[in-house]
Amino acid sequence: MSQPNRRHVLQYGAAAASSLALPGVSWAQGGPLKIGLITPLSGPQEFIGTYVKNGAEVAVDQINKAGGILGRQVALEIRDDKANPAAALAAARELLGAGVNLHIGGISSAVVLALVPVMQQENGVHITCGAGTEKMNHEAYSANMFRAGDSPDARGRAQAKLMAEKYPNITRWTGLIPDHEYGRTTWGIFVDGLLEFYPQIAKKKPEILDPILMPYGVSDYRNAITAALRQQADGCYNSTYGGDAITMFQQARGFGLMQRYKVVCDSANEFLVARGLKQQLPPQWTGMHYYPAGNKNPMSERFVADYLAKTKDNEPLGWAGESHAAVYALKSAIEKGRSAETKAVIANLKGLTWDTVTGPRHMRAEDNQAVKDVELVYIEPAQTEKGYAVTQYVKVDGKASILPPLPGQKLKLRTA
Amino acid sequence: MQAADIATLLVNSLTWAMATFLVAAGLTLVFGTLHILNFSHGGFFMIGAYAAFSLAQWVGTSNSIALYLFGSLAAGVLVAGLGLVVDRLVLRRLAGVEDAYILIATYALLLVCEGSTKLVWGLKYHSVMPPAMLDGAWVMGSAVVPRLSLFIIACGLTVFIALEVFLNRTKSGRLVKAIAADPWMAGLLGINVRRVYTATVALGFALAGLAGGLLVSNQALSPSLASAFVIYAFGVIIVGGMGSISGAFFGSILLGLIDAIGQWVLPGLPGLPFFIAMTLILLLRPQGLMGRKH
Repeated sequence: MSQPNRRHVLQYGAAAASSLALPGVSWAQGGPLKIGLITPLSGPQEFIGTYVKNGAEVAVDQINKAGGILGRQVALEIRDDKANPAAALAAARELLGAGVNLHIGGISSAVVLALVPVMQQENGVHITCGAGTEKMNHEAYSANMFRAGDSPDARGRAQAKLMAEKYPNITRWTGLIPDHEYGRTTWGIFVDGLLEFYPQIAKKKPEILDPILMPYGVSDYRNAITAALRQQADGCYNSTYGGDAITMFQQARGFGLMQRYKVVCDSANEFLVARGLKQQLPPQWTGMHYYPAGNKNPMSERFVADYLAKTKDNEPLGWAGESHAAVYALKSAIEKGRSAETKAVIANLKGLTWDTVTGPRHMRAEDNQAVKDVELVYIEPAQTEKGYAVTQYVKVDGKASILPPLPGQKLKLRTA
Repeated sequence: MQAADIATLLVNSLTWAMATFLVAAGLTLVFGTLHILNFSHGGFFMIGAYAAFSLAQWVGTSNSIALYLFGSLAAGVLVAGLGLVVDRLVLRRLAGVEDAYILIATYALLLVCEGSTKLVWGLKYHSVMPPAMLDGAWVMGSAVVPRLSLFIIACGLTVFIALEVFLNRTKSGRLVKAIAADPWMAGLLGINVRRVYTATVALGFALAGLAGGLLVSNQALSPSLASAFVIYAFGVIIVGGMGSISGAFFGSILLGLIDAIGQWVLPGLPGLPFFIAMTLILLLRPQGLMGRKH
């Protein structure tokens, strides 16, 4: 254990002094306010987890430089969940046992769903930083779980609406989806959007083909690619992600599959695939949690500058923005209730409106789901240093695309 | 099912089979000779792929097939060198110890490979374009045959034939087989068993590096690449018979076919027929298709 130095004494002294000046605050004293960060820092999702960690660390640095939360410094307790529910549960229990009740960071649907009962039983709060499951706001709803980013229904339906607006003549759709919870959820919601918006906007009924299920984490997708070729769809929705998506696109290139589609709409790869594929990238729309160049506001500009200083990366991906927003949500809720106790934080997160890098967001009180605008970019291969370029950027009103809250009930979707 | 569909299915299954065999060849060679199941083999395959990626960046090995093959061979040589270091530092110490220790030691090596890859190449995903001649496909009627698939099939066949010729038709190969069968007797006959072991390790690691180079444009590069292939590589060497090159070869073809047919018949359950077939084969023939009963 490190010995306290002069800087620590001054920091904690200042924090203690300022909290004493706040009568009526329910505020446990002694040491910094600890926030648990449980995210994948090894394994296949490590790359995304690193963005989550960096974004949270930037937020904590900013908050501490500005005097902390109600005068108290903030510290992250970082744990690796390996995108594995068992590892996440062990980390959450350990932190809760040590008195760290406020957690952020889950990005895997399976992890977040596994955390629901433990956060409820052990009286903690978890804010996910990108998990795509709709169940946490529906049949698996828990007052202890929050999502600070766009909901899967807002994202998928905004994408479907955009397709109906921009490509009204492309009505024969298929999906390339990973064979697990996330893939089926994203496809189901996208189809729901196609069935609502094509008749409304394009005045046409879309034809929905059976999606092609892609095994997770394998080295060969050729059989699935051949099945997709046989379908002869015009529009393709892809929700394979990361390395799987890159492998699939590389192998599809040999078959000319992606070139056969008139439009490709990617669920949430942001620039992960574009950075990996560069010139091999099939042109496509993709969803972003946060696109720095599209968000010209002081908080975003400061975040990009601080992120660059910390990581030498001038284009943080959206997961960094999500963890940054999650830390600021906790800060706002604590300051609003003047308490970091679980009950008070939950009460004050519900209905909270707070500033983030994408502008103000509102946390719906009914189902703990943030309402935020959906950001979509069109990426094409380009002769640039990056190997790709964003040629279109669209921000869709989150209030218009999100479905009404139905906590405790299954999400009701149209099916073809 | 039409003729074009059957042709596509065959090409797809052979592509998977040969890619998996390329990775499995070195693994089964080392196991067959030294009786060490090298869990880190996938890690060295991954390092070979990353080395080929770096060569593609610096030298432009994606510009022609000749350069691409040169890059793959260079990756093989580099990984063979690493194999010699690993042999000296780790594998020699594992002679005669229990399997559990071998498993733990080689798993630790895999972690070292992953950590080193992160340190040298970072966490970002990378990809390599195939040379122009391997890009695109031959279209025959309604059958689409990617050139890269044919290249992978040709590489797998070449490596298989080369290994079979080496092991069965050359003096050095026969020495390897003799030592694999009875190292004690081989030693009594004056054969330098340690030297043959070292050469076998170098060859096994070279095959891992070569596979990484040849397959570099086939999939994404990330520090978790090792696990994507190695699970299936273990599958084919178990089904084919541990330590048997031809077992791994025919095992990979059989499992590739089953996987492709399964994907066709049961598209909603990808991967399931593969594992069911593997289980059934092992229930019926626990020593694998071409393995010997102990």
